[in-house]
Amino acid sequence: MNSTLPRFFWSEYRKRRKKAALITFALFWGTLSILLLMAFGQGMSAQFRVAFSGLGDTLIMVYGGQTSLEFEGLPKGRPVSLYPEDVDFLKERIPEILRIVPESYSFLQVSANGREINRTIHGTTDEFALMRTQVPRMGGRFLNAADVAEGRKVAFIGWKVAADLFGAEDPIGKPVVINRIPFTVIGVLQKKIQDSMYNGPDADQIYLPFYAYSQIDNRRRINQIHIQPHAAAQSKLIEARVRTLLGRKYRFDPDDRYATSFWNTIEDAKEGMAIFKGIEIFLGIIGALTLLIGAVGVTNLMYAVAKERTKEIGIKLAIGARRRVIVQQFFLETLFVFAKGTFWGFITAFNIVHLIRLAPINYDSFGIEAYLLRPVFSLQIFAAYMAILGALVFLSGIFPALRASRSNPIESLRYE
Amino acid sequence: MIELQGITKVYRTGSQVLEALRSVSLTIARGEFISIMGPSGSGKSTLMNIVGCLDTPTSGEYVLDGDNVAGLTFDQLAAVRNRKIGFVFQNFNLLPYATAWENIELPMLFDGKNGRKRRERVTELLNAVGLYEWRDHRPSELSGGQQQRIALARALANDPPILLADEPTGNLDSRSGEEIMAILTELWRDGRTIVMVTHNDHIAAHSGRTIRLFDGQVLP
Repeated sequence: MNSTLPRFFWSEYRKRRKKAALITFALFWGTLSILLLMAFGQGMSAQFRVAFSGLGDTLIMVYGGQTSLEFEGLPKGRPVSLYPEDVDFLKERIPEILRIVPESYSFLQVSANGREINRTIHGTTDEFALMRTQVPRMGGRFLNAADVAEGRKVAFIGWKVAADLFGAEDPIGKPVVINRIPFTVIGVLQKKIQDSMYNGPDADQIYLPFYAYSQIDNRRRINQIHIQPHAAAQSKLIEARVRTLLGRKYRFDPDDRYATSFWNTIEDAKEGMAIFKGIEIFLGIIGALTLLIGAVGVTNLMYAVAKERTKEIGIKLAIGARRRVIVQQFFLETLFVFAKGTFWGFITAFNIVHLIRLAPINYDSFGIEAYLLRPVFSLQIFAAYMAILGALVFLSGIFPALRASRSNPIESLRYE
Repeated sequence: MIELQGITKVYRTGSQVLEALRSVSLTIARGEFISIMGPSGSGKSTLMNIVGCLDTPTSGEYVLDGDNVAGLTFDQLAAVRNRKIGFVFQNFNLLPYATAWENIELPMLFDGKNGRKRRERVTELLNAVGLYEWRDHRPSELSGGQQQRIALARALANDPPILLADEPTGNLDSRSGEEIMAILTELWRDGRTIVMVTHNDHIAAHSGRTIRLFDGQVLP
């Protein structure tokens, strides 16, 4: 191509930049709104997942109960309790179990730093951290295997407990007295969003190694057992096995729904996932419709402006412009306008998303903002958007040029 | 040399059929100055557009400098319009957003002439039509006569041997019209072939030969 033509195209584009300003703005605005809509949608969906995993990761909780059916001559109404040895009993017999931990808790007095509060104290083992999303704040840790094996007097505390007892001070290494026995704080729970819980949010809890806990609560029986399967799909199977095995051990009908009870978060998660999926599909449809409306507006505008230039095309053809020159010019101008509008839309949306993400979330009483303040910017969505809108814009932008450059120049010249 | 043989142009709009040209045959020799006259709707402009390769005949043969125009491609016709034929329109047809200079430069850009050649030629043409000081003005800032002189300069940019003018003075006052005619006459004296449509006898008097059209046919 002759090197003077690109310069000619550029100077022509500069002359009509003002006329294209409306199209540029429409492209900017459309890009901005779609990217923001999708970013908030994706962010909301992602935060739902985060909040859901605040309780735990593929978790089945087993509780004791009371028999409701007669069994082998035994009457109904007998209490069924769980004991620490049930953990190994189940683990040895159910190969589908990945992790299994006991948990006991009671509401007790805690004092430290001259302050006194009442909180739920839990006894459990190190793997609890992996199952119940217990992530320590920097500088601390959760209970480890040695703490549990040796029954060390150490405590992992929720961030609200830390604030209530120590204020802004770092609690790590400091003593807390629970039921008159001193424990050393080894870690503080990192803030998290948690949408389901028992005994209140983890922010308010204190966790001790299981055998250390036994020294402040002399009950033999435990409150619950947490089970994590190798695969989520095994959850129903594990539930049935647990019922059968415990039924054999404690002599109750495996079909007795009240002898033991289960909180199967995996089954809850399935429902939750369906909701997330629904939200995503809904937003996808809204996005597609918005894109359609935007595309109709932009392409209409592009087409009108390009059509207005039919006479200009006629003049250029009349004085000897080749077909390629006309089509190239329209193509390049459409490219400039499209690139400019979508570039600024992209930059603006990107910055808005990242500015909003800087806003703090109140983890102590999180609400709607926890879902709205974490939009997610997606390059895949941007790419799909560019492909669809780009195709429509280019078709509408160069169609009049293609058509005009296929007929006699006089037909374009006559256009008013 | 322009040779038209049995040129017919038919327009169809719905059920209506309009015969704008009926078997027109015409030969224009190199260096001639011809006026085409006739009442409105007689087919003058249609004939002009066919001669200028802006339109194609429904039937008939048009041979330009030995080439049958019907056999040329879209881009070959563009090259003919670019180098062989300069066209001056009644309503000027200048690009409204471009300056006088840029309008004149355009045919040379399409011909791929380099920057120095273009600058020299535009300067020369602007001086010839007496509008050098107006080079940076847009058409809307120029009078009708000035616009037509710019359009004339544009038509001459690639130094074409043939100049076609479709009622070049139709939209001008008589003084501007005379100025344009003076330039056309001078161009003819320099050896260019000039074909001009007009319905003004006074204007037609500048030419060497007058052809009269009526109802799409050449009057004998």
